[in-house]
Amino acid sequence: MKIALAQISPVLGNPERNLKSHLDHIRKATLAKASLIVFPELSLTGYTLKDLAPELALNPRKSPVFKKLLEASRAIDLVFGFVEEAADEPGLVYNAAAYLSRGRILHIHRKVFLPTSGMFEEGRFFAAGRQFRPFNTARVKTGLLVCRDFLHYGSSYCHFAGGAGLIITISAAPGRGIDEPQSQGFETSQMWELMGQAVSFFSSAVVVYCNRVGYEDGAVFAGGSFIYSPFGKLVARLPYLEEDLAFIEVDLSEIGRARKSWPFRRDERPEVIWQSLEKIIRESHED
Amino acid sequence: MKINAPLVVKTLTGFIREETRKAGFDRVILGLSGGLDSTVCAYLAARALGPKKVLALIMPYRDLDKEGVTHARLVAGLLKVRSREIDISPQIDTYFAALPTDNPVLKGNKMARERMSILYDFSAREKALILGTSNKTELLIGYGTIHGDLACGINPMGDLYKTQVRELGRHLKIPEEILVKKPTAGLWPGQTDEGEIGLTYEELDRILYLLVDRRQKPDEVIKAGFERKKVRRIVEMIKKSEFKRRMPPIAKISTRTVGHDFLYPYDWDK
Repeated sequence: MKIALAQISPVLGNPERNLKSHLDHIRKATLAKASLIVFPELSLTGYTLKDLAPELALNPRKSPVFKKLLEASRAIDLVFGFVEEAADEPGLVYNAAAYLSRGRILHIHRKVFLPTSGMFEEGRFFAAGRQFRPFNTARVKTGLLVCRDFLHYGSSYCHFAGGAGLIITISAAPGRGIDEPQSQGFETSQMWELMGQAVSFFSSAVVVYCNRVGYEDGAVFAGGSFIYSPFGKLVARLPYLEEDLAFIEVDLSEIGRARKSWPFRRDERPEVIWQSLEKIIRESHED
Repeated sequence: MKINAPLVVKTLTGFIREETRKAGFDRVILGLSGGLDSTVCAYLAARALGPKKVLALIMPYRDLDKEGVTHARLVAGLLKVRSREIDISPQIDTYFAALPTDNPVLKGNKMARERMSILYDFSAREKALILGTSNKTELLIGYGTIHGDLACGINPMGDLYKTQVRELGRHLKIPEEILVKKPTAGLWPGQTDEGEIGLTYEELDRILYLLVDRRQKPDEVIKAGFERKKVRRIVEMIKKSEFKRRMPPIAKISTRTVGHDFLYPYDWDK
């Protein structure tokens, strides 16, 4: 399976221009015979939206932008980021990721963990999603995550427990930390790679991470998108801080091979985890 | 506190390039004093945009910092950036002839704001974005003139401590004499920053780094071996200078107010 990673720098607050660049990249990926293209978090709008978030929110069932992307998805599967105004909960806007395939919306994941501290203020402008649910695609059961979701390992665990062989994270992660003279990238990039390696290995799953680049209001998005194999091996890493469109061959049959070598998936007991969590939550609940 | 200099150069030159374009400019302008900060900033700008896209204004007051002017000329020549010298003595002297003072800080502030005023005038004349040259040390302790040298379009080096700027300067191979000379705000002849602040930049930066980057409490910094008096003084300087780092507060009386809950990104649609 050939996966295209679009490590782009979206224009902040201009979905028309971003749609155009998405369609351009999709065209190139289709020509390269990729079967999936992944864009970063909030790729249709840019990240530092503040009060623009509700103004640019889309209802996937009615949006003309979605219509264009659904058409494009007849040739190639798409994952991208957008602000969702949900049909079922008008007035609430989510930082969301969509998976489109063959003209249909296969899944929308609403970011659960909204960073709201230090330089981040997502909780001020977005509602939080409430579930992690893997879904079937034509090739492999897949789980979607948005940026910070990936750093909470329970999120990936849910996809693992649900049988996902492919975990895709779309991201707008700023680079921070310049203290390490030897590194090619920011210190925080290593944090993502550490998680990528661990999650791919212990879930025996392909882990795809697409991060953006560019600058917004002084924040420096780090790039460094990557793919890890189900054996925890780095398949590809894109450059830090530079735009790129890369086509990466991924062997999905490795999922089965990894699960035979390391039977984490076979031996997993989600019901024990669930019962333990239930007890922990009940006992730590404050009245 | 050591920096990954190649990564910093890549990030900051990219920042200068991208933010200049987003602001609708293709060139930049900066005040070049011949000191460390403006020199490093000029090197970054020349690398980011090419020397022809950088205009350096050298704006001396009388002979207050002759060495600075010599160094500024040297840097402009080495980098082959455009440069122009504007003597600010006439307007400063006219003002203080009418309203005399012996306070060198008042004079220094006035000069900094005169330079700011010229930079903004040239920004409009030359269609060039103003690069600020304040570093993290100055911003944190408030060692700068509000609406003077703190005023700018973008500030590429505001997250680098003074000692880190020096390290970056060494990496960029700026002239040795600029690297080793004592930093001065040029307030009066022989004035040095360290003399005026009462601490060396090495010590100041190490304390700031612990307080700010490592989020240590003043008592923890003192326990780490720094003098109580110095730590307390730095904390006071940080506290007293918050007004220099922010837009002024707006009294909120309506349901939606600029700065409070009317919040849009700086780089909106750029």
